[in-house]
Amino acid sequence: MTNQPTESVRHAMPANTERGPEAYAIDGLTPRLAFAPDSRSEAAMLLRAANAAGLVVAPQGGRTATGFGRPLTEYDVALDLRGIHRVVEYVPDDLTVTVEAGITLAEVQRVLGEHGQYLPMDAPPDDHVTIGGLLATAKTGAWRGHLGSPRDHLLGVEVALPSGELARSGGRVVKNVTGYDLHRLHTGALGAFGVIVEAAFKVSPRPAQTMTLAAPAADQHEAMRVARATWDASLATRALTLLGGAAAAHLGLPARPTVIVEFAGQAAAVERSAREFEGLAGRTETPTADLWRKLRATHGDTATTVARLGVPPSLVADVVASAEGAGGRAWGHLAAGAVIVHGDIGVDALRRLRAMAEERQGFLQLEHAPVDLRREFAPAEPGDGDLVRALRDRFDLKRTINRGRWGSGL
Amino acid sequence: MTTTTLQALVSDLRRALGPRHVLDTPEDLIAFEYDATIERALPDVAVFPATTEEVAAAVLLARRYGVPVVPRGSGTGLSGGAVPVNGGVMVVLTRMNRIVEIDTLDRVAVVQPGVINLHLQEALAPHGLTWAPDPSSQRVCTVGGNVANNSGGPHTLAHGSTVNHVLALEVVLPDGRIVNLGSRVPDAPGIDLRGLMVGSEGTLGIVTRATLRLVRASESVRTFLAVFDSVEAASEAVSGVIRRGIIPVAMEMLDQEIIRIVEPRIHAGYPLDAGAVLLIEVEGLAEGVAQDAATVEAACLEAGAREVRSAEAKAERDALWEGRKAAIGAIGAAAPAFYLLDGVVPRTRLPAVMKQVMALTAEYGFRCANVFHAGDGNLHPNIMFDPAEPDAERRVLALGEAIMRVCVDAGGSVTGEHGVGLEKRSYMEWVFRPADLDAMTMARDAFGGAGFFNPCKVLPGGHGCATGHAAELAAVMSDPRVYV
Ligand SMILES: Cc1cc2nc3c(=O)[nH]c(=O)nc-3n(C[C@H](O)[C@H](O)[C@H](O)COP(=O)(O)OP(=O)(O)OC[C@H]3O[C@@H](n4cnc5c(N)ncnc54)[C@H](O)[C@@H]3O)c2cc1C
Repeated sequence: MTNQPTESVRHAMPANTERGPEAYAIDGLTPRLAFAPDSRSEAAMLLRAANAAGLVVAPQGGRTATGFGRPLTEYDVALDLRGIHRVVEYVPDDLTVTVEAGITLAEVQRVLGEHGQYLPMDAPPDDHVTIGGLLATAKTGAWRGHLGSPRDHLLGVEVALPSGELARSGGRVVKNVTGYDLHRLHTGALGAFGVIVEAAFKVSPRPAQTMTLAAPAADQHEAMRVARATWDASLATRALTLLGGAAAAHLGLPARPTVIVEFAGQAAAVERSAREFEGLAGRTETPTADLWRKLRATHGDTATTVARLGVPPSLVADVVASAEGAGGRAWGHLAAGAVIVHGDIGVDALRRLRAMAEERQGFLQLEHAPVDLRREFAPAEPGDGDLVRALRDRFDLKRTINRGRWGSGL
Repeated sequence: MTTTTLQALVSDLRRALGPRHVLDTPEDLIAFEYDATIERALPDVAVFPATTEEVAAAVLLARRYGVPVVPRGSGTGLSGGAVPVNGGVMVVLTRMNRIVEIDTLDRVAVVQPGVINLHLQEALAPHGLTWAPDPSSQRVCTVGGNVANNSGGPHTLAHGSTVNHVLALEVVLPDGRIVNLGSRVPDAPGIDLRGLMVGSEGTLGIVTRATLRLVRASESVRTFLAVFDSVEAASEAVSGVIRRGIIPVAMEMLDQEIIRIVEPRIHAGYPLDAGAVLLIEVEGLAEGVAQDAATVEAACLEAGAREVRSAEAKAERDALWEGRKAAIGAIGAAAPAFYLLDGVVPRTRLPAVMKQVMALTAEYGFRCANVFHAGDGNLHPNIMFDPAEPDAERRVLALGEAIMRVCVDAGGSVTGEHGVGLEKRSYMEWVFRPADLDAMTMARDAFGGAGFFNPCKVLPGGHGCATGHAAELAAVMSDPRVYV
């Protein structure tokens, strides 16, 4: 009797798509089954079979962000999407690309790079992040405040629903208001309304030139003054990040509050930006070329607690200082108001930081943390609770996908 | 609704909103029976709330009396979105026109939905800030309408549509609840109901307050007027610019027909014998702009431009833009009637699609003026006709439908910025499969407004909604009266 549901799922899937479940543990739970389908329709088949059998499915890509949201409460079947990874259509002259969700961001960048283009997204920690995972978590990096978020570049998606249907919204053209933009609903939803299996994006030409500079400051106020003036000067900025002293030291820079900036664009604009930045900061250094890569990789190092705060830009320096004061390593992307805090700074410090953010209509989100901490710091209301429940009831009544991620009953 | 129930509803609304802010006589209501299309349908009553609570009160009363609610901004919509096809309570948001806050430090504005787009821009300009959405109707249209339609504009090419510039929304739902979607600080964890609400055309909720993301105005802007012998050559230049790795902030095309209508009236300096002109704008740091400018010029000349003029001073740039901005209005004065289409195609398909559009127009025996967002592949053919001619309307509708088909067959879609509204509902089935539409229906139903909030819009079908392309299309034949 207990084996029946799993057998029915197994029966529905081609044998060669089954994997050993041990490699797919999440939140301390090991699933009973795991599948890595080769196609979108197979992914939909798996969802339909699991839904019919009353089993809980956790879709996953590069497994770099399985600690997002509340801990899973049940977990029967792993859906590994990495086998669904084709480039469906790429028209360089249209600046659009359509890919399957299991492809990695790194692979997309490689394909686009052959035509001097890229997806202007630097979601940490890069290489293993799949497009589906990136969208489901709405992860962003240092470019976000300057180039926009994945949501802004997304043109349309196809999702697999628990009913076994495949449903599309949007399209492949760069400007489109036909129908409800369900793709925006799916972005950041951690699978609540279906599993993203395909996505179309607007892509960008690669900048002709980039340049990274670092300006160590006497203290956090000086760092903030430089960062703020740089932002206000509307230079050719692609990233503008304020590092706390500990974060700077971790990246091999002097252990002082430091502003790091990346300029990108036409050579003349980049050079002028660099000159102005030097003027604003007084003294700058040229850090090693892999600074940003190291910063992103740090973000993906999940040995400790990783918190992300959203605050008004004017509060970034204070939050960075406060987090480092509590013993963490912290940095903040000024324009997006995103502060990342690394380290086991303790529950009281986390509460303090959260209060600081919430007082200014911001938030604190744990991206990686022990299960009990994640329960305490889970977002109270994922949007409007009643609406989310009503939507979830229609798209996934049995809570087949990621049960518990959005709280009890969701 | 019987007269007595209507009278009861009206007096309840008057009690809730004050007697001066509820209109129910046909003479008063006639101003609210259409948007910038010509489908006409009278609401049973129009209300002018001043606060979110009054909007909620009106919604609850409409609900109690079982009549639909249709939100309306300035009524400049081009897809029949604000036309109350099933009557009911029209909620006109123009009294809620306060700019609540401009936070220059964190670059956020909070506004009520009835704020006129241009008024917001004027308030931001002294701070060196702008709100990116810039529909050509910005002198009249409301921020609420921009949000509801996810409107675009010439500068959408670089900045994206309205949705990219909305941080949070206060919304009144069909059950009268007031909710806040999104957050003032971007990227809050949670379900992005804000993103679904933008572009939902008043079918999911009524926007009563919007928190907007602002951007700094650029240091340097340069506008080009490139003159071509043909639409094909101009389209080729659009591709050429993008192929060279540049995305200008705007690339707008005007064809010969529209140039000949606009130029004598506006004197923007477009050569009357040109086959097409492109307005191209680049902005950023002065150094970058200079470099981009050289590239743009080279791409235009390579595609066969016979002249490329450039303007840097604001007055000169505004003069070049004046012709573009006044174009639609000028058509209204030049033809007894016209039908404005909104289709979108992959930009590389533009030359081929434009050729098909021209051929079809000739085949149907009409004149067609094109003024559109070429950089985005967003077409706006304007079919001019004389309604007095026998059979003209039917043939115009058939032509419009044929052009929409061409867009869909080219891998595009049936609306790039004007919305589905009433006009494009039947075409939804050309673009989406039944399962896709089912998912959209599920999303709409979760908000509880089906048949109640702006009925017969966006999705095909629906109880008590007219069906068939002819019925819907007859709805949207443009009428010059709207523009003069
Ligand atoms: C000459 C001209 C040029 C135009 N140029 C452009 C252009 O460049 N780009 C472009 O995208 N559009 C353009 N439009 C179309 C139109 O101006 C836009 O769609 C505009 O955003 C509509 O705003 P409005 O206030 O007039 O809305 P309305 O026409 O009053 O309403 C539009 C839709 O929004 C709903 N709605 C209005 N307010 C609210 C609210 N507060 N909450 C919920 N729903 C609401 C209505 O029910 C309706 O469905 C143009 C129109 C004209 C006449």
